[in-house]
Order: sequence, then structure tokens, then C-alpha cells
Amino acid sequence: MTRVALRKVSKKFGEVVAVDKASIEVDHGEFFTLLGPSGCGKTTTLRIVAGFEIPDEGSVFFDDEDVTFKKPYERGCAMVFQNYALWPHMTVYDNVAYGLKIRKVPKEEVRKRVKEVLDLVGLTGLEDRYPLQLSGGQQQRVALARALVIEPKVLLLDEPLSNLDAKLRLRMREEIKKLQKDLNITTIYVTHDQEEAMSISDRIAIMNRGRIIQIGRPNEIYMNPRNLFVATFIGRSTALKGYVEHVHGKTVKMRINEKLAITGKLAEDYKLNIGEEAIAIMHPEDFSLDMKRGANVIEGRVELTMFLGPFLHLRINIGDQSLIAYIDPDYEVRLGSKIRLAISEEDVIVFPTKEWEEIETV
Amino acid sequence: MVIKGIFLRILKRQLFYLDPVLVTQLVLSLLMMTIFLLAPIAMVLLISLNYNPLDIFMDPTYVNLYPKGSPITMRTITFRNREFTLIKITGVSFGIILNSLINSFIVTICASIFGTVIAFLMARYDFPGKIIMRILAMTPLLMTPFINVFVIRKIFDWKDGILSWIIGDVLRLPFRIGIEDLAGVTITQIMTFFPIIYLNVYSSMINIDPSMEEQAENLGARGFRLFRTVTLPLSLPGLAAGAAIVFIFSLEDVAAPIVFNEKRFMSYHILERFLEATTGQLSPVAATLSIILLALALVTFIGIKKYVTLKQYAMLSRGGRWTPRVKKLGIRGIIVVYLLILPLLLFAAFPQIGVFIYAIAEEWTGPLPHGFTLKNMVKIVEDPLVSRAITNSLSYSALAIILIIVIGLSSSYFISRAKIPITDLLDVLVTSPIALPGLVIAVGYFYFFSSVFRGTPLDPITFGPSLLLPLAYSVRRLPFTARAVFAGLQQVHVALEEASLNLGAGRLRTLVSIVIPLIGLNILSGALISFVYCMSETSVGITIGGLKGVGEEHQAPISFIMMDYLRRVEGPHIVASLGVLLITIQLSVITLVNIVFKQRYAYIGV
Repeated sequence: MTRVALRKVSKKFGEVVAVDKASIEVDHGEFFTLLGPSGCGKTTTLRIVAGFEIPDEGSVFFDDEDVTFKKPYERGCAMVFQNYALWPHMTVYDNVAYGLKIRKVPKEEVRKRVKEVLDLVGLTGLEDRYPLQLSGGQQQRVALARALVIEPKVLLLDEPLSNLDAKLRLRMREEIKKLQKDLNITTIYVTHDQEEAMSISDRIAIMNRGRIIQIGRPNEIYMNPRNLFVATFIGRSTALKGYVEHVHGKTVKMRINEKLAITGKLAEDYKLNIGEEAIAIMHPEDFSLDMKRGANVIEGRVELTMFLGPFLHLRINIGDQSLIAYIDPDYEVRLGSKIRLAISEEDVIVFPTKEWEEIETV
Repeated sequence: MVIKGIFLRILKRQLFYLDPVLVTQLVLSLLMMTIFLLAPIAMVLLISLNYNPLDIFMDPTYVNLYPKGSPITMRTITFRNREFTLIKITGVSFGIILNSLINSFIVTICASIFGTVIAFLMARYDFPGKIIMRILAMTPLLMTPFINVFVIRKIFDWKDGILSWIIGDVLRLPFRIGIEDLAGVTITQIMTFFPIIYLNVYSSMINIDPSMEEQAENLGARGFRLFRTVTLPLSLPGLAAGAAIVFIFSLEDVAAPIVFNEKRFMSYHILERFLEATTGQLSPVAATLSIILLALALVTFIGIKKYVTLKQYAMLSRGGRWTPRVKKLGIRGIIVVYLLILPLLLFAAFPQIGVFIYAIAEEWTGPLPHGFTLKNMVKIVEDPLVSRAITNSLSYSALAIILIIVIGLSSSYFISRAKIPITDLLDVLVTSPIALPGLVIAVGYFYFFSSVFRGTPLDPITFGPSLLLPLAYSVRRLPFTARAVFAGLQQVHVALEEASLNLGAGRLRTLVSIVIPLIGLNILSGALISFVYCMSETSVGITIGGLKGVGEEHQAPISFIMMDYLRRVEGPHIVASLGVLLITIQLSVITLVNIVFKQRYAYIGV
């Protein structure tokens, strides 16, 4: 079990800043995810932990040891690559046994441990196959087995599920999470899929443009986004623009258009003045058809309906802007008809508009 | 303190990306290229400084802006009791330096036009007999030092040449045509070098995403307009690369001037100085001419390389592989192909076919060969001088290949994987020998190793060329293997190596158990191609290779013996038999590389 720490790590490629003063602490046995849009620097951060890239500034620690300048093969962490990187000229068995052979593990034990790990990932019997004879899911498991068999200090996973089809992705997600908990390995996971990150992680670091924007447990990040980037990146939130009409403590009343005003709570660490431009963020599942007392009531016209199984996805036009709401799929809605929705003040978070431009680091 | 800290960190970062294996690879490659390429060339440069280059440019032997005579002459002659109009195409001489330049320009332009036409035909059309014509178009690439030129001369000789025989004796027309001297060299080089253009342009054309042309057609472009506005511009990198190589090859070619006995070319001039040099002295004129040759070649190489990299259009299409657009050729097209292109290709391939005929003919002094014999084939084994040359070439080439594999693998691996700035320099060093005239290297080796290494086994004058030739071969033919390895490495995703490093394997272990098994075929096919080129190596072989003469224990390679035997009685038949041997080796390797390894024959380009 190992604790991993990055302290103010920066990395440039030519003029492009890939990682900008990133600091993270990953605890023993924790499942930690780097989440962000493509090009945000999450893979580079992971490769810095693995030792494939050397940061221009800052240091990397495994427990109390500074490993910044240690070679990849001296670090004892195992990585699962996005494209699996299975060696096509070796069988499943040889691929998995490779790391053990390097560690000069006795032959008998190699055999035993490879068998165990293949059992663990459900690949028993495929030892003699070559990677090209395996399906995508099976290849993924070999890559995982190859990393797990050396009992690494840290497990690094670089978008391991992105090459699988949707159904397999869900299944592997569960399996990875279960394996990680059973083996209790410190794990750093990279993905751009927020739903995947939410479902699998103990904690998530949201990255954008090389910076770490927010670190927290999935529910914290979902409920209390630190800024507009996080608020709009996580979930399918609606952002409505308007002007501040009234401020009372943490409660803000915003004018969206002539007919519509919304009351919400001010985002943490921000201030707003009357007349200032602001943005209200709302999660689609927080809308309801019950007109509770004290809730905001929004009336609009149905622009689009999509049946998504557990709920009905609606796009509702409210003048010059639209919002997304999820409602009970049994409710009958006609395209173009009028609809009234309620959302409580607690579920509306208000940010200043200038936030679009400025995104602060942790 | 802060600055020191930053400096240390930068240093630490640079060093991080190096490990003992990469450092060894770098040192080994740099050492090899410095001692066996840079130092000898630097020596030539030094020696040429002793000689005022202006003297050369003022001397009408070298530069003559007012040539005498006419490139084509016509006169009436009586020949074998009949009256003929003799048309002699000879060209005119502008002095040694200008002759070389003008000749190379004409050759490059003609070869470019012909090569591009063939490439377009092969890349875009389907017609009966295409496979045979493709083979014909590549036949001139089979290297048969001297003897193919000998056959070309046989075609254009006005007395007993095949062309004049057909016109004057078969068709009974009152003409005889002779192509000789400068013009003979030019036509020989066009016939020999156009396939280089063809292959480069062809490869460019089949790599053009079909949607590029489809889009243009969709917008209304067709026929020649489509070719001019889309196909040709997108193939320009291939054309430029091929043209540069043709230009350089033409500049340094010695075989055609030797066979046409045309001494008014830089290459022949350098060679002649060399043939006088067995005494241990080499005229400084050789150095000056070498430097001019080198400068021309380098400017061409660097200029074109820059241009090609700039124009290397990234095809934007997604979704992986495509099949190139191939149309069926219409009836009019087929007529043109069979009446015009096929005869031209047959004509260009004839020298190689003629080599076979020469080898098995009892006698070929008149227009047509006579008799059939295998005695010349047997002679290349029985004649001790010839068989020794074959063993020499085989052992030199084998030795060179070992070096080539070590250096090619080391340098290419370093270039593709090390993340430090020196990689670009190493890349230029390793690929440049393809553009460096062999004669320049030969002159450099002569000066450098006979002075700096005097008395050591590397000294060609005291100990002969047997150690120097494999080294020269390995430097000259390194690019073929280095490129094949590099191409292989580019197909091996770095993650495959990172996965190994990540699991605890060091660099050497990763190299041996992951990289080499994955690119084994690339190494092997690159090495085979290099081997073929070593076996038929000419410029260094006929210069350095002959420094110990052709006694019983001679150290000369095949090419030197071919040049030497060309002037002996019945010699050409033995030279042709050696040519057949070389063709056989080349064909076997090409077949092996193509069919067994399923890799495209490494073609020549920048």
C-alpha cells in the first residue's frame, strides 16, 4: 500500500502547457480519478506518475520517497494502457508472466501466480492464445492481469474502458472497482467520461487546461461544483443567463427574461451585486411536475422529447433560452405543448458570468 | 543558486531520458559516422583548399562557355559499299564541370517526365499486360555495373549497332544513326534512372486519399485538369524526392562515361586521377572536383528534403485503409499504351535483357549475337581472378551487413525513442550517405586513411582495401537498413515498450524481448537490401578497391574486376556473366522481401 503525492507539478511540451502546477494526494488503497475533457493534461499527469515523463517543475512522492527522477522500471507501479499495449508476439501467459520473470520469481511461482490472476480476471484457459485471437474485452483483462500480477505499489489506468462497447464497459467498470477494493491497491484512473468517474471513484480531480480545478468525492463535486466549469462539465446541467435582481445573504434572485425570475443559492466563495450578469445552473433531474410551495415555477414550450428508459428527456423553450429536464416517463407530453415545472431554490446554483473566462486552481 | 538549481534540473531531465543502452547506441553511431564519413570528407575539404578553385573555373578544360562543334552532325558516307546519310548525335562539350551539370539536368528532366507518365498509368489505370509492364519498368533498376551500358552502346553504335542495322540493313533505308560521347551518356542515364522517378511518384500516387480526387471530380474536374490540379500537386513530394536522387546519381555515375569513353565528366575525371594513384599520390584536382560534386549533391539533397517535409500533406481522411482509385483503360488508351509505352519500356529494359544474351552468346561483335555457350558462366568460377573477386565481394558485404545491422538498429532506435535534441543531427548523418557521391567518399578514404592511419590495417596503400571496403560499404548502404528499421519502429506503438519498462524491465531487456522480435522482419529485409547494394557497389569498389592491383592475391571486389575485364579480349562476356550473377542475387532478395516478408521493396528516395 502506497500513498502518492504530486506537489506543484508542471510540464510543457514546446509552448503547450500540458500540466500546470498540479498537486494531488492519493491515499493508501484509494481509487482516485483524473477527470477532464480531452487535452486537459490528465494522461500526462498519469505518465508523470508512471515515470514516462519528467515534470519541468515540482515533485512526485510515493509515500515519503521522492521518485521524480526515478526510471519507470524502478517505480514499482503498473499501468494499463488505453490501447492495452499487449505484445502481439507473446501469448497471454507470456504477456502476464513478463513482469514476474523480470523480477526473477521462481518458475513454479510464476506459473501459480499467473494462474491465480487469470482466474481473478476470468481468463482461465486462454493462456496459450495470442492477443490478436482475443476479443476487446478479453484483451482488456489480459492488460489488467499483467498489471495486477506484479502486485504493484500503485495501479495506473489510462482510459482502460474507452475501447470497449457500451455494455462491456459497464461490466468491466464494476469488475475493476471490485478488484481494486478486494486487493486494496492505490489506484489512479484517467477518464473523460464523467459518469464512469462518478460511479467508480473514491475521489475525483477535475482537470482543465492542465490545471486541477476541484478535488472531492463524487457527490461533493456533483452537489457543490466549485465553479462554472465543473458545474457545466459534470452532469447534463442547464445554464440560464440573466441579471441579478435581488441578493439576500446567500439567496439570489435572477431575472432571466420578462416573464421569468429564478431564485437560487449563491455558489460558495463568490459575491454578486444587483444588476450584475449571472448564470443559474440546474440539474435536469431536479425538476419536478409537483408545484411545491416556495419552489421556482418555470413555464415553457416542449421543443424535444426523448424517451431514455428510466425517464423522459425534455428540452423546454423559455423564450430565447432552453433548459433540459428529466421527468417521469409515464407522463404524456406533446411536442409544442406548454408545460410547467418546479425546481426548489436549493437546487439552483448561481455563478457570476465572468466565471466563464476565469477558472481558478485549487 | 536559483540559476544553478534550474540548470541542474534541466540537466537531470535531459539525462533522465538517456540510459546506458541509449548512450551506447548514440556513441557507437556517432563514432562510426565521424570516423568513416565526416573525417574523410573533412580531409578532402582541407586538401582542396590547397588548390585555388578559381583556377579550375577559369580553365576551359573545366568550364568552357564557348563550345566548338555541333551536337548533331549529318554527312554522307559510303559504308560496306552502300551510300548512307550518317546522323551522329554527340552533344557538345562545355567543359568537365558544366558537362556534368548540364547532363544531370537533362537526365533529371527527361527521367521525371517519362517516370511520371508511367507512374500515373500504373497507379490509376488497369489494362491487360499491366503486370508485365510493371516488371519491365523496374528492370533498369537491376544493377549490372558497366555491362548494361555496354549493351546500350551496342544499340546506338552506327557501324554494328542494332538501331542502325534495323534502319539501314533490315529496312534498307539510307540512314545510319549513332549516339555517342556526351549524348550516349545522357541517354544511358535516362534509360537507367527513370524507374527511380516512377517508383517514387507511383508510391505517392497510391497514397493519395481517393476522396481528394473524387471531390475534385464531384466539382467538375476531369481528365488532364484533374491530373494537373490535384493528382500531380499531391504527388510532388514523391517526384521531388525521386528527381533529387536521379540528379545525384547522374552526377556521380562513372559507368556510363567509362563505357562511352567520355572523359569530359567530373566523375570520370576523379576516377582517372585515382587510377594513377596506386603510387600513393592523388592529385589535388581530385579533391577539388570531389568538393564540387559533394556541394552539388548536398545542396540538392538538403533542399529537396526540406521541400518534401514541407509539402508532406497529411491526408485528412479518417477510417483507415482505402483502395486506390483504379480505372479500366479505354480502347484508345490501350492503343497508345501498346504502341508507345510498351516499346519504350521494352527498349529501356533491353540492356538488362542484353546482359543475359551477352553472357550466353559465343560472340556478339556484329549487330546480332551468335552461338550459345555456358563457358562464360563457368569461367566466373574457374578464372581465379574473377572467382576471387566474388569471394571478396561476398566477405566484404557480409562484414558490412553486420556493421550495418548494429549501427542501423542503434541509430534508428535512438532517433525514434530518445527525447533529446541531438536526434535530428544523427538522423541527417545516418541518411545522408544516400546522397553522398561514392567517389567523394573514396577520395576521402584515400587521403584520410593513408595519412592519419598510415601503417595500420586501415591504410589502403600499405595493406590494401580489404578492411576499408567493408567499412565504406557499411557507411554507404546504411540508409537502407536504417530506414527499414525506423519504419518498423514507427509501427511499434511506444506503449508496447512503456508497458515493459513499467513492469520493471530495463532498456536492454525491452529492446531484446519486445522491440527486436517485433521489428525482426524490418531489420532482415533492410539488411538484405543493403547486402544487394553492397554486392554491386561501384564507385568505392573501382577506386579504393583497385589500389592493390589485380594480382593473384588481389583484394578487389566484383565491380573492379568488371571494369578491368571490360577491356580484355572476350572480357565483356565474363563481365556479362558477373552481371547475371548480380541480377540473380538481386531478384532473389527482391522476391524474398516481397513475397516471404510481405514488405514492399525499399525504393530509393530522399
